[in-house]
Amino acid sequence: MAAAEQRGAGAAPPGYTALAVKFGARQRSPHCLLVKEHQVREGAGTAHPPRRTLFVLNVPPYCSADALSRLFARCGHVQSVDICDKPEPGEKKEKLTSKFFNRKSVTGFQVAYVVFRKPGGVQAAKALSQGGPLLISTESHPVKTGISKWIASYAASVVDQEELKAEVDAYMQDYDKKIAEEEAKAAREEGVPDEEGWVKVTRKGRKPGLPRTEAANLRLLEKEKQKRARKELLNFYAWQHRETKREHIAQLRKKFEEDKQRIALMRAQRKFRPY
Amino acid sequence: MKVVGSYLLGTCIKPEVNVDVAVTMPREIFQDKDNLNQRYHRKRALYLAHIAQHFSKEKLFGSVKFAYMNSNHLKPILLLRPQGKDEKMVTVRLLACPAPGLFKPSRFYPSKNNVRTAWFMEQSTPKEGATEPPTPHYNNSILCDMVLVSHLHFLSSATTDFPGMKDGLALLKVWLNQRQLSKGLGCFSGFLVSMLVAYLLMKRKIVKMMSGYQVLRSTLQFLATTDLSVMGISLVKDVDASLPVLDDFHQAFEVVFVDPSGLVNLCADMTASKYHQVQFEAKRSMEILDDRMVDGFQVLLMTAKPMLRTFDHVFHLKHVCKLQGACKKMQLLNELIDWGGNYVGAALPFIVSLLARGLAGRALLVAHSLPQIPEWPIDAEPPKHKDVGPLTFGLLFVPGFADSTLEKGPQADHPEALDFRTFWGEKAELRRFQDGSICEAVVWEANTVSQKRLIPEQIIKHLLKLHADIPESSICYMGALLESVIRTGKEVSGLGEEAMVNVVCSYDDLSRKLWNLKGLPLTVTAVQGVHPAFRYTDVFPPIPMKPIYDFHTRVKTKHLLLPSEEKPCPAYIAPLRIICHMEGSGQWPQDKEAIKRIKAAFHLQLAELLQQQHQLVCRPAVTHTDVYKDGYVFRLQVAYHREPLILKEVVTPEGMLKYQDTEESRQLELETLHLPYLTSSLHGLQQQYPVFGSTCRLAKRWVSAQLLSDNISEECVDLLVAFLFLHPAPFTPPSSPQVGFLRFLDLLATFDWKNNPLIVNLNAGLTDADYTEIKNKFVAARSRLPVMFIATPKDHGSSMWTQEQPSAQILQRLLVLASESLRVLEKQLMDPLNRQDVKLVFRPPLDFYDVLIHLNPNQIPRHLESVDRPLKSFSRGVVKNSTSVKILFPVVDYDPVQCYLQELRDAFSDLALFFYDKHGGELIAVLWKPSSFQPQPFKVSNMKGRMVTTLNNKLVCIPNVEAILEDFEVLGEGLVKRVEARTEKWTI
Repeated sequence: MAAAEQRGAGAAPPGYTALAVKFGARQRSPHCLLVKEHQVREGAGTAHPPRRTLFVLNVPPYCSADALSRLFARCGHVQSVDICDKPEPGEKKEKLTSKFFNRKSVTGFQVAYVVFRKPGGVQAAKALSQGGPLLISTESHPVKTGISKWIASYAASVVDQEELKAEVDAYMQDYDKKIAEEEAKAAREEGVPDEEGWVKVTRKGRKPGLPRTEAANLRLLEKEKQKRARKELLNFYAWQHRETKREHIAQLRKKFEEDKQRIALMRAQRKFRPY
Repeated sequence: MKVVGSYLLGTCIKPEVNVDVAVTMPREIFQDKDNLNQRYHRKRALYLAHIAQHFSKEKLFGSVKFAYMNSNHLKPILLLRPQGKDEKMVTVRLLACPAPGLFKPSRFYPSKNNVRTAWFMEQSTPKEGATEPPTPHYNNSILCDMVLVSHLHFLSSATTDFPGMKDGLALLKVWLNQRQLSKGLGCFSGFLVSMLVAYLLMKRKIVKMMSGYQVLRSTLQFLATTDLSVMGISLVKDVDASLPVLDDFHQAFEVVFVDPSGLVNLCADMTASKYHQVQFEAKRSMEILDDRMVDGFQVLLMTAKPMLRTFDHVFHLKHVCKLQGACKKMQLLNELIDWGGNYVGAALPFIVSLLARGLAGRALLVAHSLPQIPEWPIDAEPPKHKDVGPLTFGLLFVPGFADSTLEKGPQADHPEALDFRTFWGEKAELRRFQDGSICEAVVWEANTVSQKRLIPEQIIKHLLKLHADIPESSICYMGALLESVIRTGKEVSGLGEEAMVNVVCSYDDLSRKLWNLKGLPLTVTAVQGVHPAFRYTDVFPPIPMKPIYDFHTRVKTKHLLLPSEEKPCPAYIAPLRIICHMEGSGQWPQDKEAIKRIKAAFHLQLAELLQQQHQLVCRPAVTHTDVYKDGYVFRLQVAYHREPLILKEVVTPEGMLKYQDTEESRQLELETLHLPYLTSSLHGLQQQYPVFGSTCRLAKRWVSAQLLSDNISEECVDLLVAFLFLHPAPFTPPSSPQVGFLRFLDLLATFDWKNNPLIVNLNAGLTDADYTEIKNKFVAARSRLPVMFIATPKDHGSSMWTQEQPSAQILQRLLVLASESLRVLEKQLMDPLNRQDVKLVFRPPLDFYDVLIHLNPNQIPRHLESVDRPLKSFSRGVVKNSTSVKILFPVVDYDPVQCYLQELRDAFSDLALFFYDKHGGELIAVLWKPSSFQPQPFKVSNMKGRMVTTLNNKLVCIPNVEAILEDFEVLGEGLVKRVEARTEKWTI
């Protein structure tokens, strides 16, 4: 374990700085966070502004956004912490509006973007590698793991019925409104040619068109094929006759080859060992 | 000297190639009256001993040993094996026979006596006036030697110009060998079957044009339809008035097949029960040959049928010397004289017929193992009768009748009543029946289904004690030894089958309530259970429970309980999932997000209505509603039949609508369409075969005890067990969980998963053509299909239950464990003398894992379900009760160990595999993935749990093992007792 201590925060790939981090004072071997200044191409999103953002790799599973912001608070005022599963372009993500639906919790080892208010914070954070390992869970701010965490998450899994109902109702009202608007728009455009003179045909209206689905398309193609087959004369010309014969023989040969292979395989498998 | 037997006929088969050599003893060594009182036999033995002594000095032979011909202790033979490599290959058997015409055949007719009682009893003077009993077996044994050579001539004349006979005999011998019928005292030997074929040839049931397969078929057909114990057959060509007739033979022997000389009964030592077993096997084999869906060759000739896997219950008679007492009790002195003092042979037919009578109506077949005496070196003492080892009996039950508690006898005033009373002893009593009749009857004590299955054990022990003086202690009954691992709770009696029925009743009631619910905007079209309990295959069925409030943290505002941090983890209450299909309607939105909202609204409304109309306590959530009813928690899940289709919708750039399988849609289809179908199919199977559920539970318990339950889906195990019941060939469908479990292990260990699909024909939904189609498609696409491929009528080509699990490595591991468990278990079950703990196969080997995480028992909610039940346990804050109506909602589906495993797998799944027995395991076993320990170059996406270090002046990433081991403890705070690292594999 002593060896681990020594190499703890040592090596880092070019451009990165390694920071040793431990869960609490009791633990002996640290994980190492790899941090570097976040670099983005020009004009990219504003969620992770250049020069003020610290990119952190290998964040342990028990290290939440809060814990991370507390860790880096000593380097300067932390504006926001964004934890995700894997590095992604810093587009401004749409904020999840629902408390109940589509909640994705990130688990396991993660990456994080720590945005400082001032650029100096990034440099200060890199300098942390000089000091001892950082502690995630301290006495003043304990991090819940194990039993207490699971009990808390069980408690959180119980939903408030009123709240859920209100949210669903609101969503469905919006949805109904949206659908109604779309329908109204479709009704308005019914039979009205656009600038170039095209008329849009939908399933609704007086003359419903065919639905544009794959199944319908296939059905149509099949019908065409049948129609063509009915018209075509089979084995009428001598060359047609020859061709079908040749094809037939080729097919027989192919089947014969396949059968031979199959039998060979079956022979190979049959391990006659009755006892 | 002359070579006789199968070697000359060219019908020898492996594994034992015997060359029989008949040695004619010189006429001079015999005297008058040598046919009496075993004199012939003793001289014959002396003669052989002399030859043996002579040969033992020769360098020519690798070994010279004695053995008994077909374990008949009056007929020793000499075994000579060549020196060197061929020693195992071939055995020369020396049989001594008298010179032709030495004895007059008429002395050995079945009704004649050749052993005097006085001599046998070692009395000096015979009793006056007593008639001497006939000694048919004794006579037969001398006659056999006399006609040895003529039999050879007879057979060789039959085989000439008949190439099919050779093949046919080889097949028949393999068939007999696989059924363990061809060795031991009273066996159906290869010689016997050759004679039978010759008989059929004589009767023109077989002609010389036939192929080997046709010979096999006709012989089996003959065996299946003819009962030689009732109507014997004879090879005698022309009737001779002086010869004994068949009736004489029937009086002396149980099974009759007379040889060409008209003197010898070839089946003399065979018991009627053994012949019935042969007949039963032949019948079953004919059915299999006629069934076009089974590969007859594989099933009939390549599959061994050991007794343990063939019979539903098996019991051992530990000490055969107890049969001596039985002979005395049953007054079998005459038989003993006839058998030359072999009490096993003398008593066996009587014991078996006693059992057969006692179990009539319950057992299809009562079979016994053939006593076998091992060979011995010439300088050792010959083995005694008791050296045949324990005698094994097998019972095959008639489904549905084996477990009736009542044995109804004749009416009290009938003359048969006395007979009935003497047969059953003091167990017989008078009873008045519902139709007003008063009958003799026997009532057996049994309360639960599992106890009822053991009624045959009570019967056997009672009868053997009563009639044969065999004490219970020397009977070792192997009926339900394994069942303790799936026993629920503390009470010893039940196996939980009754509990399962209660769950299903409660579920039926709930579904009726759902159907009739008033006030829903759309009606409920179908209610389908998907939890294993609804198909009777849940390892530990749910038990009605009511929480104790003090034990939990109470949240009164929401009417529910939470686990408390100070107390041990509350008992695990499994939510029983039910799919509730709603009527299709134009009002359903056609957008997947909106459907989710509507479903959530339905869950809320269902909860509200159930509460209002039926006073059930409910707890709605987004994806389900939990309902507390009768002490169970049901989890209702609303489904809309078009939802999978909507999830599949993709609009192409041209604006065309396409349907494509997505992960989400596949999952939903599996849950709402295929799982309910599977559940109802297997529910039906349980009605057909009452032990299906228990077998499945044993199988699943074994899988989880081997720590593999997270790596193979429950449905997959269910289907494997269903296969055993639907396609039992060459066996019969199991009627006890134990035999089902043994066959499950055998199936796992021997099935060729690489080259064959396992086709489970549920509800007989597949035809012959489907079978071929499935097989062809499987061969064509093998490399793309899952390693374990299971096809069902609703799933021809995708094997949906094994798609992700098990992986090739896990399957391999499973096969190794299965074959090893089977070997150990069969050895234990066949060895009644030193009984070991049968739970051995339910304890996993741990030396193979790298890290063991020991858990704190008080946080394991299912601790009581572990294989070795802990002596003392923690209070889990529940009482068994189902009456309460208004309560705070209990803690449901909360298992800290599962939460922990989830976190471990999320964080470290690319570094290690985690194994756990979900039924109360006290440790989690961790296996590092070897590939992840290769030093890798630095990559941003590949830094999880690793650290950078320099190796040979290069920067590489390696797993930070010390920190990870500490993470195991941190993540499982309060649950983990200690982390034990057992290997140093990670030091690079």
